[in-house]
Amino acid sequence: MRLSIIKELREKAFISQDQYNFLESVFSGKIISLYYELRIVLYLGVMLFATGCGILIYKNIGELGHLLTIIALIAITAGCFLYAFKKGNPYDDGKVTHATAYFDYIVLLGSLLFVSVLTYLQFQYSLFDETMGITTLMTAAFFFLIAYRFDHLGVLSLGITAFASFWSLSISPQKWYHGDFVDQANLEFTAVLFGSTLALLTFIIDRKNIKKHFTFTYLNFAALIYLTGALSGVFADDDVYGYYLIALFLGCGFSFWYARTTRTFLFLLYAFIFGYIGFSFMLADLIIDDVGFWFFYLLASCGAFIYFIIRSKSYFKRAE
Amino acid sequence: MKTAYNQNWLKNLSVLKEANDWAKQSIISRDQLDAIRAAYVSGFYHPNFIIRILLIIATFTALSGVTGLLVLFVVEIDESMLSFLALIYGVVSFAVLEKIVIRNMRHYKSGVTEALLYHSIAFTVGGFAGVFDFDEYLFTLAVMIVCAFAAFRYLDLISSTVSILSFAYLLFAILNDSGEIVQKFIPLVFIAVFTGVYFLTRRIKQNPETEIWRHPLLILEVLSLIFIYAAGNYFVVREMSTEMLNLYLEEGQDIPLAIVFYLLTVIIPIVYLYYAITRRDIVMLRVSLAVLAFSAFTFKYYFSLGHPEYTLTAAGIILLGICLYLFRLLKTPKNGYTHENILKEKWAATNPEAFIISQTMGGNQVVPDAGTGEGGSFGGGGATGKY
Repeated sequence: MRLSIIKELREKAFISQDQYNFLESVFSGKIISLYYELRIVLYLGVMLFATGCGILIYKNIGELGHLLTIIALIAITAGCFLYAFKKGNPYDDGKVTHATAYFDYIVLLGSLLFVSVLTYLQFQYSLFDETMGITTLMTAAFFFLIAYRFDHLGVLSLGITAFASFWSLSISPQKWYHGDFVDQANLEFTAVLFGSTLALLTFIIDRKNIKKHFTFTYLNFAALIYLTGALSGVFADDDVYGYYLIALFLGCGFSFWYARTTRTFLFLLYAFIFGYIGFSFMLADLIIDDVGFWFFYLLASCGAFIYFIIRSKSYFKRAE
Repeated sequence: MKTAYNQNWLKNLSVLKEANDWAKQSIISRDQLDAIRAAYVSGFYHPNFIIRILLIIATFTALSGVTGLLVLFVVEIDESMLSFLALIYGVVSFAVLEKIVIRNMRHYKSGVTEALLYHSIAFTVGGFAGVFDFDEYLFTLAVMIVCAFAAFRYLDLISSTVSILSFAYLLFAILNDSGEIVQKFIPLVFIAVFTGVYFLTRRIKQNPETEIWRHPLLILEVLSLIFIYAAGNYFVVREMSTEMLNLYLEEGQDIPLAIVFYLLTVIIPIVYLYYAITRRDIVMLRVSLAVLAFSAFTFKYYFSLGHPEYTLTAAGIILLGICLYLFRLLKTPKNGYTHENILKEKWAATNPEAFIISQTMGGNQVVPDAGTGEGGSFGGGGATGKY
């Protein structure tokens, strides 16, 4: 169909001859792009190599080849960053793209290996006092530095994850599923505080026009941590659940406001889902559990939901 | 018979989708896009992916409410009658989907349509199976036919997949039940049948009339390739033989014709890859890469040296090497192959990619026990192991 489409568009003069020629060569298979294939394989390669090396140095501790492995790793890491500094474009507050297609993956590999080496050194020689989780903090700082220097969203999210885990927060759907998120007392409070601080900092950075395209990633993590923390608080702590509920609704309100102003659908979704769960919980607490009521509530909320989506149809179309 | 949808709108919608993509990547100008939009009008309600998922959930919930109410009326009725009623309920749901949601409300793959479709399929098939006392063959056959109908008429991709899978299952079950001699030929029959299906699909695809069904046909094409491979794969054949055909293997024993399956495990991916590259077939290329990985897994599984870290590292080095080599090679396009991004695919974006990186390499990595239980932020620098 694609070929006949462009033929028809050309005949009706919707596209120029040049555009037709280009599209025709793409759709007829004269040009084949291996963009995604190569990137997926490259990513797999980086992941396998970094993981393999990580296990490798742990397993062979004390053996002869061990030191060689470490030296090799350090050499590869240095090579990655040498390449990155040599070929990469200088820092800029805006978006920076780099010359070669695989640049991002070299930076990612270098960062991961660097952290492997750092953690190994800490493990073997105890360079820092581990009680404060200083390695994690340094890891996070390193990731942030690299992310800003080379404009790397992937490393940035690694940095945020590492920084959150310094506060014992884990950002992972798997962990929430197992209920590990609320393992420790007061972790909910940490999450709420962490999320709101991160969001606040993000806005300040965003205002200063520094790497504006990082804002989404930051806010995404901030919203997830904050809302999950507040929601866990609502469920976990009977005494103070009201406060967490207020915090949850505030967060949802903020998320909703942000979604409206920037037309990002994801935040609307967060606001809606977390708000709905919180609201239902509040109802369950206030009203005696009556099956008929809940049946009606379920149907009504489904109806309201469909109505809500269809009404804001045009809004969603522009979002995406 | 045709699809349930207005054919003109379907065509216009695909023109619009294409043109939108082109405009996003500045292949055509904004004005051109607006002109195309004005000329190709589609009246469908066809929301984006996330909305579709939300609408599916909402519709399913609403449908279970309706079904629950109906069940209250029929609790007293005996079982065979109940199956018959379920069948009727399924058919009526199909009618509601066709006449109200698609014809009157002009929904096209909106989430409401999918939910209602699966609901209809489930009740039709379930009712049918109940009427025939849940006979295995008839049940699978019913799933296959009803899903094929759904794929054909509503262009639904999940139904297409289910239909093909139930066809494969039916084929397997019939061969499996026809005695020991036939059982030995199951892989051969699968390869023969799905090779036939594959070439048939390719021929059907050449006909411009069938372009509306290109997505279901694509699924058929991909699944045929996978079935051909799987039927010859040593791992699949061996595990299936011991699990389903009650073949008992002593220590050191091997399945009959093991060498043939070893060879097929190696050859089929290479044949795929070769044809994909020479025939410039991107679908086959992707399948060949996937099955190549599975072949590597197969050999690793039976001939493991017990050092996963070496395998991981070596595999990483090989993949990195191949990729960097290809990037160098394709710096200037060769034979039309390029590593540049010519037309973005709709699921591709940097933000999800970043999230994937943080999820696969972040603080969630399996960390070998470091003895102290602390400082486990290895390989990805996340978890302090303090939870």
